[in-house]
Amino acid sequence: MSARLVGIVDYGIGNVASVERSLRMLGFRSRLSHDPDVLDGCDVIILPGVGAFPGAMEALHRHGMTHYLQERAEAGKPIVGICLGMQLLADRSSEIRPTPGLALIPGYVEPLQDARWHIGWNTLEVLQDDPLLMPGDGRSLYFNHSYVMHTSPEYCIGVARLGQPFTPFTVAVRRGNLVGLQFHPEKSQAAGLHILKQVIEGLGHAG
Amino acid sequence: MLGKRLIGVITVHGGWAVQSFGYGRYLPLGRPEVLARNLDRWGADEILLSCIDRTSSGNGPDYRTIERVAAAGLTTPLVYGGGIVRSQDGVAAVSAGADRVVVDAMLRDVPAEVDGLAERLGAQAVIAALPVSSGPQGLLHYDYRARNAAPFAPLILDLLRSGAIAEALVINWRGEGGTGFDLDLIERFPDPKIPLIPFGGLSNADLLRTVLMREQVAAAGIGNALSYREHAIRLLKRELGDIALRPHSFNRWTAN
Repeated sequence: MSARLVGIVDYGIGNVASVERSLRMLGFRSRLSHDPDVLDGCDVIILPGVGAFPGAMEALHRHGMTHYLQERAEAGKPIVGICLGMQLLADRSSEIRPTPGLALIPGYVEPLQDARWHIGWNTLEVLQDDPLLMPGDGRSLYFNHSYVMHTSPEYCIGVARLGQPFTPFTVAVRRGNLVGLQFHPEKSQAAGLHILKQVIEGLGHAG
Repeated sequence: MLGKRLIGVITVHGGWAVQSFGYGRYLPLGRPEVLARNLDRWGADEILLSCIDRTSSGNGPDYRTIERVAAAGLTTPLVYGGGIVRSQDGVAAVSAGADRVVVDAMLRDVPAEVDGLAERLGAQAVIAALPVSSGPQGLLHYDYRARNAAPFAPLILDLLRSGAIAEALVINWRGEGGTGFDLDLIERFPDPKIPLIPFGGLSNADLLRTVLMREQVAAAGIGNALSYREHAIRLLKRELGDIALRPHSFNRWTAN
């Protein structure tokens, strides 16, 4: 069986080279592009993201990716949003200014409640026994964000918390073939790579 | 639970990793990417690539070194500092392979750029480098270029409080390269809510424990002390078992 082909949405945001290198390390082939024909030929699409929500949405619009991603998600194409890429899957965000998102998973993005930042290594708590994420249950993963996605429990498949007295918050979402990971699997050492592999292989087969 | 971090610091001068003594004497250690690969394998929580000659030389960020280090295939977050003056410098450093950036000269020279940088990268990606020492009236902020120290400029404190910067790298510049850390630099820091990353002279587990137990400390930077033994990060984490750190582990990807 040939290695899964993973498309990485190239919209000028963030450090995509790390994602590419991680995919290579895992034995996947990848294409970095905003060409719909190239992305259509991939088994799974990764939407990376670093930065702030409004700038990222603006860049998606500028590269003609907004409607493309919405249409492909509707058609059941496996899509994985990483970090800000997960937040972009929501309906809207209040970061800097109110901005509509891709509206692929019902929810909204607001500042963290119990702290200003969530930076560093934290434990993932997997909900719903989701098979894509189960290898990461209880593992430490790298987070770097200050806004968080609020969604309905049916879409929330993973949470983290800042400490015991604090409320858990959503760090992984799933709606069919759409998955969002608030942590950086490509920067979470071996634990992150295991999750990334599981998600891509799981979704790739589902797709 | 969110753990505190041990950050492996690679000091780079002239494109080479060096052991620095008070930012005045340098002992060459080798290629930065080799050191970064070691820190990645040993399970560092972040790696800081600090190119200390870029601002003074006016050459801007060392994109070539960032690319070389990133190309080593790290799965540990990479932080870059050195020569970032304009917001596009920081954006380009991230495009070259960094995950976060440290700003120093930007704070003094063009503080208005910090907001632009935060808007483009997200404030969580922005760290302020603050070389400090303790004075009779409070902390003194050292200026490497002018070689003088003065109380914090109100504008810099405002920036730290504004939310455009996530953490402050508190550099014990007087003790850098030595074996000690002045706790006043943490305890007298002008704002108790800003997460701090002490760096400079944190050479053993006892010192690290002392600073990491401070609530305001989010992480600790370790430089020279990592050069003396294999798996130094793992060994330090083992010794710091009573601190809320990510458990020590060897970072090795195996497909099975």
